[in-house]
Amino acid sequence: MRFYLHQQITNGIIEDPDGTEAVDLVAAKRGAILAARQLLANAILAGVAPLGTAFRITDGNGNLLLTVPFHDALWPGFMDCLQK
Amino acid sequence: MPHPTQSFVRNGLLSIIDAAAYAAIGPHLEPVDLPKGTVLIEAGEPFTHAHFLNGGIGSIIISTPDSQRVEAGIFGREGLSGFGCLLGVDQGPQTSMIQVDGEGYRVSIKALRTACQQSDSLRETLLRYVHVFISQTSYTSLSNVSQSVEGRLARWLLMCHDRVTGDDIALTHEFLSIMLAVQRPSVTTALHMIEGYGFIKARRGNITVVDRDALVDFADGMYGTPEAEYRRLIGPFG
Repeated sequence: MRFYLHQQITNGIIEDPDGTEAVDLVAAKRGAILAARQLLANAILAGVAPLGTAFRITDGNGNLLLTVPFHDALWPGFMDCLQK
Repeated sequence: MPHPTQSFVRNGLLSIIDAAAYAAIGPHLEPVDLPKGTVLIEAGEPFTHAHFLNGGIGSIIISTPDSQRVEAGIFGREGLSGFGCLLGVDQGPQTSMIQVDGEGYRVSIKALRTACQQSDSLRETLLRYVHVFISQTSYTSLSNVSQSVEGRLARWLLMCHDRVTGDDIALTHEFLSIMLAVQRPSVTTALHMIEGYGFIKARRGNITVVDRDALVDFADGMYGTPEAEYRRLIGPFG
């Protein structure tokens, strides 16, 4: 099944035009978590604030199936570690 | 079948070799269409043909054991695939495939090796291209460890722009993710940022280069040296 990972950013959405094949929504969520980690890491390495805040996973018809906030991609307590 | 005359070929290597070198290889060139997805060399399989492109973009890809694909290098009308046969080997770990529709000539490995034995200048020109290709992969390594995803994307877009006619490049996000060795959302975000700076326009399956000079500046020294090596050692490029 094809899932689309649209990225919610502070002032809009970055659309995923092509989508990605995944066996089910659980696998699509796992992909979204990995992608969020990479986006957060890219921003940290570049020394800038991450653009996105969440993925909105939709099907091919644009129906929203799941929202994955980027903070779900980090382990619990990660932000607390940074603030110490 | 009559073989192409040298003045007709657009491949950068075949068009600059001397007449004796072309006489050694020209009769063995077979015109071929090279649509996107054509596999020229399969990893771990014996080389059968080398391909000289007249247009389009080919990609040399290496895969992890769990099939994550990463691009090691690209070639177009300036180069050829299958140059491992010039180095005395019969196969390699990389896959070579077409990523942007093109066309060119294929030549059997046996005929290419024989032509290189007949013409020192042909062999030397092709080996200089191997040097340029190694320079490209060296800069890719440097870029991968030193640049942001956006900087790496700028470099790859310039490299693709050099190999197409006009400013439109038919690139899918999937190919870009292989090029940059990142997941698709990282590609989408990097395109969004570079488009936001006004350097490109991105539409589905197509990227238009709007401000090439700005892309070169943004690539921050990671683009240009292998291309200059090609011009210094072989001939016109881009």
